[in-house]
Amino acid sequence: MTLVKEAPARPAEKRSAAPAAGRRGRRRENLAGYLFMSPWIAGFLLLTAGPMIASLYYAFTSYNLFTPPRWVGLDNFTTMFQDPRWQKSVQVTLKYVVVATPLKLLLALGVALLLAQKRRGQALYRAAFYMPSLIGASVSVGFVWRALFSDDAVVDRTQKIFGLDVGGWIGNPDYVLYSLVALSIWQFGAPMVIFLAGLKQVPQELYEAAEMDGAGPFRRFWNITLPMISPVLFFNVLLESIHAFQVFGSAYVVSDTRCGPADATLVYTCYLYQKGFKEAQMGFASAMAWTLVVAVALVTAVLFWSQKKWVHYEEAAK
Amino acid sequence: MGTSRNVERRTILKAAGATAATLGLAATTGCGGDGGTSADGTVTIRYAWWGGEPRTIAIKKTIALFEKKYPKIKIKPEFTDYEAFWEKFQTQASGGNPPDVFQNAVGFLRKYDKRGVLMDLKSQADAGNLSLENFRNGVLANGQVDGKQIGIPVGANTMALVIDLKAFQKAGVEANFGWTWDEYFDALQTIQDKLKIAGDTGYFSIMYLYDLYLRQNGKAFFTDSDLGFTEDDVTQWWEDGYKRVKSGLVADPKKIEQAKPKSGLSAGLAASEFTWDNFSIRYEGEGESDYGLAPIPTTDGKDTGQYLGSLMLSAFSGTKHPKEAAQFIDFMVHDPEVGKIMGYDRGILATSEQYAAFKPTDANNKGVAAYEDEVAKADALGKITPHPSGADVIEAAFLRIGGEVAQGKTKPADAAKALFSEAKAAFAG
Repeated sequence: MTLVKEAPARPAEKRSAAPAAGRRGRRRENLAGYLFMSPWIAGFLLLTAGPMIASLYYAFTSYNLFTPPRWVGLDNFTTMFQDPRWQKSVQVTLKYVVVATPLKLLLALGVALLLAQKRRGQALYRAAFYMPSLIGASVSVGFVWRALFSDDAVVDRTQKIFGLDVGGWIGNPDYVLYSLVALSIWQFGAPMVIFLAGLKQVPQELYEAAEMDGAGPFRRFWNITLPMISPVLFFNVLLESIHAFQVFGSAYVVSDTRCGPADATLVYTCYLYQKGFKEAQMGFASAMAWTLVVAVALVTAVLFWSQKKWVHYEEAAK
Repeated sequence: MGTSRNVERRTILKAAGATAATLGLAATTGCGGDGGTSADGTVTIRYAWWGGEPRTIAIKKTIALFEKKYPKIKIKPEFTDYEAFWEKFQTQASGGNPPDVFQNAVGFLRKYDKRGVLMDLKSQADAGNLSLENFRNGVLANGQVDGKQIGIPVGANTMALVIDLKAFQKAGVEANFGWTWDEYFDALQTIQDKLKIAGDTGYFSIMYLYDLYLRQNGKAFFTDSDLGFTEDDVTQWWEDGYKRVKSGLVADPKKIEQAKPKSGLSAGLAASEFTWDNFSIRYEGEGESDYGLAPIPTTDGKDTGQYLGSLMLSAFSGTKHPKEAAQFIDFMVHDPEVGKIMGYDRGILATSEQYAAFKPTDANNKGVAAYEDEVAKADALGKITPHPSGADVIEAAFLRIGGEVAQGKTKPADAAKALFSEAKAAFAG
């Protein structure tokens, strides 16, 4: 079984010898390039940029899909901030991001540290741990999760052995969000692979030198591994937080399309979906979408700003 | 130099060709085609419905029958479950591309009439493509809004109490016509005392049941354009409901939630459940007990507040084939063979031709028929209350907010406020 192997060295990219044809030739070449790109450009303009601009416009309108959008200025935003369900969705999402992201990364790093060591069957382990990330986004896993965490199902029965009688997580507004957190943590494969790649880059001499100086495993991890992989850690924190803000599928499926019970899994995108597609308030939904974009951008900016304090790039060390 | 220029020209041409092909492909898939008429004059119309598998199997049989009788009309079926149906329909309709003929219900009539999606089928009846005769018990009126006939009923149903017969028997409780709410809750208490299970699955989140309760008290859930009750009314309703959850008369909402998509009744979590009478057919398949229909409890010992609701067929106002759509609806509503195939899946058959053609043989269908007979005999049927545009959103909100109350997450008074504020937004939308 060779499921996951070291990435083969990429063959040097062949560079087609550019014909020395002068300006006209280059222009023709450019034209051909643009023509080849045009399906993508057309797709981007029609399917990405166009809808984005449209939704920005709709965010300032009242639009029920049937009657033409009516300009309402900032009304959607003011209604939104006062809407108790919107506030609830923000709370639920923040709770999810703050709980799920660190736990997922912690597990990913822990497993990556174990898998970074040479041992038999390493490829198999890596594949096995990565597997959930491949199927994690599918609807069927959501159903499986619902079955696992229901009343009198596997998780519930196991808990009862330890004297914890919750009666299933799915129907309990106090617990159901944690079943989504568990689902997110279970899919730690993608950040794990990135951590693994980062760990491979740490020069062995550093550990050897530290060992000579009498540093124990924890000290070596804290003073060598962590600083050396901090760029990778930063990348993972960024990516996973953004993902967590956008969680939808699992919440939608696990809570049987209602984002509940009692709005307990009403994550931001779930409410956005309800507003847009169930209640046909497209203006409101667009306003919500752009608020999310701005919020995620702010979080990203804060993370980028903070990296000066804790991310060590090799250039900086020089 | 010359060769390389030729190569370049070819490259450019190929690139252009590929682009044109891609765009061309996009164009053909993008537009809807020819409106469903093929070269030999065969017309294709799209027919959409929601429902479970048995309904789909039956409807496909009726389509085959129709296509045999009208070889020049082809029917393209589209079906999903209830929730997905209306989400999809909303998007299709806003894009001007809803199905030509589709299943409809009273909660959606005004909403889509207001948006100009529904065809007034009177014109087609006048043209002789569709008969508006022979509808039983005045049920045709269910499809009328502001003097227009925008829905043609296929079946009539009414709210009922589905009970676990074995549980009721074991507890020694009887459900009689004219019993009061107090008697109903006493029965739940007896069931709880003797069988140690809850009596009801969560009555107070069901909008249509609350409507009946209001009608028993001289009000109704909706007026033409607003809610027909006060915040205090519904606060009281939910306070009582929550008390009964706490005392165990009503099943634990956490368990009910997890039994889905099974109903709490067939999952054995409670002994009774309020629902539409034709839904009772599902319980036999789902659950392990025997189930029967019992009367709605009353306030005064007489008036149940019940009325005949109905599933209907509607046509898209912008269909390219209004005549064929009308002919199809006519066939589906009047043809006796269709009645035989469909049975009471969508309620008691609405026209006398179909009602006469179908003689129920199984216990389920017989039960539904007997129940409706009895309800009709009691002569207590009222007229359906109007459902303003936005009723569908309010029904979902009522269910959700009632669930929050049941879970103890929202106080009844706050819940009532939330409902009224959401209703205001829904009516405005």
